Amino acid sequence: MLSNKNIVVTGCLQGIGKATLEKFAKNGANVFACAYQQNEEFERFCDALATENGVQVIPIYFDMADITSVKEAAKTIQKSKMEIHGLVNIAGINRDAYFNMITYQDMVDTFQVNVYSQIILSQYIVKLMQRYKTEGSIVFTSSITALDGNAGQVTYGASKAALLGAMRSMALELGTSGIRVNAVCPGVIKTPMTEKLSQEVIESKEKMMEIPRLGEANEVADVFMYLMSDLSTHISGQTIRVDGGIR
Amino acid sequence: MTNLEIYNNAFIECLGVTEDQLAGLKYQDVESWDSVGHMGLMAELEDAFDIMMDTDDIIDFSSYEKGKEILSSNYEIEF
Repeated sequence: MLSNKNIVVTGCLQGIGKATLEKFAKNGANVFACAYQQNEEFERFCDALATENGVQVIPIYFDMADITSVKEAAKTIQKSKMEIHGLVNIAGINRDAYFNMITYQDMVDTFQVNVYSQIILSQYIVKLMQRYKTEGSIVFTSSITALDGNAGQVTYGASKAALLGAMRSMALELGTSGIRVNAVCPGVIKTPMTEKLSQEVIESKEKMMEIPRLGEANEVADVFMYLMSDLSTHISGQTIRVDGGIR
Repeated sequence: MTNLEIYNNAFIECLGVTEDQLAGLKYQDVESWDSVGHMGLMAELEDAFDIMMDTDDIIDFSSYEKGKEILSSNYEIEF
């Protein structure tokens, strides 16, 4: 489904990002696998994916909290001289705190990683796409918190809602270049981020869903794959919920 | 080819100007140096010098001379 496409994916070390990397490689994409920290296990994972699927999986390490390192990563991608067909922004942070306990620094840090760096990285990648006149796709990972709210996630929800605003305007600007821009809003997905939730909270969330179970990272990755593929060439500016029909 | 020749060629190729128009040339002085032409010129320079320019520098790149100054001071390209 993604043969001959070169795609940048951030947040590949675990959770939804890792599942997305795996799915993309298995479907024929060459992937720039962006991760926060270098580690041998991840290197082996990337090597194995590349060998098993006959694709390139290129690990790139940088810190989304540091704009200089985001730029360095973009330079590395540029130097590969590979046409880029897409970017899936998955990396993000979550510092839950009730409204009266939110610190300014937590807001700054969250917006740096979840919003500013993602827009800057997208800017660089779009520039490469426009340079090669590549039609392609940019996807942001927002959250149902951006749409529905969630107690204790004011900052996180605000940052994810900011991505939706950015996505809509980018879609309007970039459509004429053949670049689609969309957002995916995962619900409660089994990832390291949700591992800390109590059983009680999980059960209460499940009761709110039409499909009463937590989502799998793989199920979000399926939607990313669709949005990166040629099956979605007329879809832009959209927000897609992957939440089991939560109410 | 010298860096100056590479730089000049980028202008000539992307904007369709002649070499004698380059000195003093400013953004929007010619029809071809509009916002679209500007991004094409930046892409050409990035390719030619194997650099990736910061957005701030792309915005500040307001003339032929200013461009040389930016490339020299921020990207170690000597003219």
